[in-house]
Amino acid sequence: MKILIANRGEIAVRVMRACREMGLPTVAVYSDCDRAARHVQEADQAFHLGPSEAARSYLNIEALIDVARRSGADAVHPGYGFLAENAAFAASCRDAGLTFIGPSPEAISLMGSKTAARGMAIRAGVPVVPGTERPFDAHASDQEILKAADSIGYPLVVKAVAGGGGKGMRVVENAKDLSGAIRTARSEAGAAFGDTSVYLERRLTHPRHIEIQLLGDRFGTIVPCAERECSIQRRHQKVVEESPSIAVDPRLRHAMASAAAAVARTVDYTNAGTIEFLLDTDGSFYFLEMNTRLQVEHPVTEMVTGLDLVQWQIRIARGERLDIDPARALTPGGHAIECRIYAEDPDQNFMPAPGLIRGFRPASGPGIRDDSGVSSGYEVPVYYDSMIAKLVAWDSTRDGAIARMARALAEYQVLGIRTTIPFFVWLMRQPDYREGRYDTTWLDRLMIERRGATFNELDDEEQRLVTIAVAIDAYHRARAGAATTSDGNSPQSSIWQRMARIEALRS
Amino acid sequence: MTFDIEVDGAATTVTIEAGGPGRYSVVVDGTRHEVLAERIGELGYSLILGDASGRSRELYVAPGSSSGECLVSFDGRSVPVSVNGRTRRRGRADDGGGAGAQPVVAPMPGRVVRVLVNPGDAVEARQGVVVVEAMKMENELRSPKAGVVRDVSVTPGTSVEAGRVLVVIE
Repeated sequence: MKILIANRGEIAVRVMRACREMGLPTVAVYSDCDRAARHVQEADQAFHLGPSEAARSYLNIEALIDVARRSGADAVHPGYGFLAENAAFAASCRDAGLTFIGPSPEAISLMGSKTAARGMAIRAGVPVVPGTERPFDAHASDQEILKAADSIGYPLVVKAVAGGGGKGMRVVENAKDLSGAIRTARSEAGAAFGDTSVYLERRLTHPRHIEIQLLGDRFGTIVPCAERECSIQRRHQKVVEESPSIAVDPRLRHAMASAAAAVARTVDYTNAGTIEFLLDTDGSFYFLEMNTRLQVEHPVTEMVTGLDLVQWQIRIARGERLDIDPARALTPGGHAIECRIYAEDPDQNFMPAPGLIRGFRPASGPGIRDDSGVSSGYEVPVYYDSMIAKLVAWDSTRDGAIARMARALAEYQVLGIRTTIPFFVWLMRQPDYREGRYDTTWLDRLMIERRGATFNELDDEEQRLVTIAVAIDAYHRARAGAATTSDGNSPQSSIWQRMARIEALRS
Repeated sequence: MTFDIEVDGAATTVTIEAGGPGRYSVVVDGTRHEVLAERIGELGYSLILGDASGRSRELYVAPGSSSGECLVSFDGRSVPVSVNGRTRRRGRADDGGGAGAQPVVAPMPGRVVRVLVNPGDAVEARQGVVVVEAMKMENELRSPKAGVVRDVSVTPGTSVEAGRVLVVIE
């Protein structure tokens, strides 16, 4: 089996690692700006796909199938994002005689519609968040939607049927805001997914987001794993995940795992998938949606179950039987935490911060796993998602894992660009986080309370150290500048002035 | 040599003398610090303070994305530092005023999605003026002060480089 990885960044590197461990050759694809990217370096073969814009490279189905043919690949791993949940891509692979390492196009398309997925959960006897069972398409009248809203009650959430990642989603507190929320949700969903259909769901006020990773083989075996806790979210985007959840005991774990497996069975699910639930404060849980792919946060499950989910994806795709012990998969060994490191400036409201990475040294040592997709000298492009690495810490206890994560964050070096590392340093110190007192609304509330305070605070001594280091650096630069130029500038400012002049000429 | 160094908004005048290989005498705010400094690779410094504490620290000084600014990485944090009077552009919530015309610049390369103001419009401090998309996210750029929009130099669809002036507020 030769595997084409239809993706980039850390997940492409992650999949290639599994392939290499299994002795399978790999094929990378790259866009214009990714020629020197890490995933190209790690692959056995690499082929150009197209221009940097994702629509003309990583989302170009025809070009991907063509590379598979030219490279002699016979299987395709889609990673996550891009075409991972695109049923047409899975079907195109099948039609071209390629093994798609993921579920069937039918399962992708069925679970890709949130209302259809809710229907499958109901059929499986799994509770769903109370809401409308049928979507409202573009022709539905405001009056019709208002009536449905009244029967659900406020607050509620307007959600795009094709939505994901917080897009096309609006919280509505009362009836007078409903029409406006529907309009913005529709327009966002139309732009992002090409489908303006929406539905309504009751809003739980303090839910946790708990999800069950599962694997299914072609012989009908479904194995659910210990839960992942993904309640640490910033504007509906997960930023920290862990396994197990502090809010889930073995009894609840088994109940959620059985519910997840039941939903997967109703669609004859194969390969890796995840069932997301909302867990209410009273211990009741509700089906939210199914992700028909490998997820960003899969490493925390791997760390506590000992499974290699990517290797299992490949083995299932080539027809092997799942022969893992279901009891072991449901018994977390220790505790794992993941931080998603983004090229964003947490001090500027998490503004994207692409640019040249001038130095890169990921953390390592006991209990630490780094899944990164960049290297020193790589310029983080503006075209794609800004996640550059996932840092995972494991220890036998949650407290131990937090301590390791804090240590590893201090070790992790990404030089030249802003990242969210300082934000995680701060987060790991929060008493509520350390004690596990949080729900999906916790982080957003805390961020409002901080009122934009910096995450890069230095005490007086640290400020002095930084000043001294910069002075020594400026001294060296000035000396180097004086040695190589004779333009009459005073040595102490020449290099900075020349840099500024060069910058000014460029803009 | 003497430098003006601004860390996290606080400016200091620093005098530095070399005292033999890897030895420096640095005067910060009138206090003299004897420092042992050794390069680590291209950007790093290992500092040991000569104050008998033996305190050892590792800092990295990387050129920043904009001119005259560098980004110092230190123990899990990244701090912007400017040398010799280059004022930082990064806005804080309490950065209210400033007299005269002030530009709103693109903080990163991207594409203008929406322009929210027209020349002549009155704007409040921190009112959104332009939305720039980068890395698949829309980012609303805000007015640095209350005033009147004097100039709008982009339209929706314009691709912009970091540092490009988008709107001028007077």
